Amino acid sequence: MRVVTPFISIGLLLLVWQAVVVGFHVKPYVAPRPLVALKAVSDNWGVLWPLVLEIIRETVFGFLGGAVIGVFFGVVMAKVRFLQRIIYPQLILSQAVPVVAIAFPLTVILGFGSVKPIIAIVIWIVFFPVTVNVLDGLSHVDQDLLNLARVYGASRWRTFIHIEVPGAVTPLFSGLKIGATYAITGAFIGELVSPPLGGTNLALYVEHANSNFDPASVYGVTLLMAAIGVAWFLLVAGAGTLATPWERRSVARRWRRRSIAAPQVDH
Amino acid sequence: MSVVEVARDDGATLKGVTSTVLLDLRAVEKVFADKVVLAPTDLRVDEGSFVSIVGPSGCGKSTLFNVIAGLLRPDGGSVTLQGRDVVGATGHVGYMLQKDLLVPWRTVEDNITMAARLTRRVGANDREEAREIARRYGLGEFLDHYPKALSGGMRQRVAFMRTLVTHQQLLLLDEPFGALDAQTRLDMQKWLLDVWRESGRTVLFITHDVDESIFLSDRILVMSPRPGRIVADVDNPLARPRDIDILTDPTFVALKARIMHLLHGGTS
Ligand SMILES: Nc1ncnc2c1ncn2[C@@H]1O[C@H](COP(=O)(O)OP(=O)(O)O)[C@@H](O)[C@H]1O
Ligand SMILES: [Mg+2]
Repeated sequence: MRVVTPFISIGLLLLVWQAVVVGFHVKPYVAPRPLVALKAVSDNWGVLWPLVLEIIRETVFGFLGGAVIGVFFGVVMAKVRFLQRIIYPQLILSQAVPVVAIAFPLTVILGFGSVKPIIAIVIWIVFFPVTVNVLDGLSHVDQDLLNLARVYGASRWRTFIHIEVPGAVTPLFSGLKIGATYAITGAFIGELVSPPLGGTNLALYVEHANSNFDPASVYGVTLLMAAIGVAWFLLVAGAGTLATPWERRSVARRWRRRSIAAPQVDH
Repeated sequence: MSVVEVARDDGATLKGVTSTVLLDLRAVEKVFADKVVLAPTDLRVDEGSFVSIVGPSGCGKSTLFNVIAGLLRPDGGSVTLQGRDVVGATGHVGYMLQKDLLVPWRTVEDNITMAARLTRRVGANDREEAREIARRYGLGEFLDHYPKALSGGMRQRVAFMRTLVTHQQLLLLDEPFGALDAQTRLDMQKWLLDVWRESGRTVLFITHDVDESIFLSDRILVMSPRPGRIVADVDNPLARPRDIDILTDPTFVALKARIMHLLHGGTS
């Protein structure tokens, strides 16, 4: 049931769209019916699917890059206080700059027509919520717990690995989920400003459809991208659920049970 | 310097049996921003004994523990454990607070082995010991549970098991049952006495519950604030093993009256 409700909810949205277009006699060149939009996608699937694959790749690689960089900044700022005072304002500034504006110089720097600026823009968008949440998680570890580790004679490294890091997993995934929803937007903006030389991509496809008065394709591809965004979010959220079984379960899963499984290596 | 002399000169002989001093504090002092939180304090604790500390909130009980545990460096004096100077060092006591400090992402078994995990590699024997101790003290069925599935009393038991498997001789327990309801607390006190007797450890136990201090300990230290110091060192003659019926024993009642009097500024 839990799994189905989001799809029912999105289905309802499409129904409302259909009802509005039909009920208010909205002209097809203003907004098509959802089924017409979807048909525009399926009719052109042969042209579209390599472009879709490409934007998925950009989204995923950019997201992963953003996740790694986001974690890096979060950890560095949590561990080195004076670096936090220097880096944090700059990171905030990076997010205050409109992405579309920064996209042009990025293209010039990383090479017009290359995929690099596109990935860079996705990273730019994704890393920030990850950094903020990781920093938050690492800075709010119970002081008494840290003291307990000290009393035991724990090294800073082991305290970090066994106390601070696991405590930051839940906030890490909060950041990753925010990043996951934005990643596809970043990829689309990137594709707009850095199209492949002599080639095409999904963003250009939408642009052409728009100038050719083909709203069905514009809406159809937009729906498709939304679907990619949602699917990626669900994947990341699912990974988060797997990574934090203690949030929902009372008893550890069998493969995590040390008392039943053969002795395993531990740090 | 107003040193309150509470160290007992007969510390070496108790009930005719020769006992060794495990912990020896001399003129230990702690000042926080010109505020004397702990006036120069002497304290000797015999190996295997159970000593309680009672005193009003803010009189420096936890500060005293933190100095012994090595979390705080005293501004003066010496702390010796088993003849070894431990000022500013860590890794020489078991330590437990009112908060259980179990980590939510580890099972009961893995929480019990936390001290090992934080200092070295957890081995099969560490895990076997954790399982064994949990089974012996009635939590064998919860080894694979996450802490959030346990009641407050069970969580404190796990926290105490985690403290026990550090194999430290001296256990510092800072109001460990302070957050439990009366019935659970009484169960935990009886349980603690059993475990203490079987394990042969030395316990320093902070509480603000006078009944609890008498029920559990061989000695009760009464502390007083401004500046924090030990104002009385009361021997508890009640025989062991003890059960709840001693709570109405005349000796118990007299002892309680005396400690209450001391707590409210009276002199012994
Ligand atoms: N890190 C600290 N900095 C300043 N004052 C402190 C600090 N820790 C404790 N104190 C003060 O020392 C006094 C004793 O505290 P504590 O030992 O926790 O008392 P108790 O455990 O007896 O309630 C209190 O007045 C408290 O405010
Ligand atoms: Mg305290």
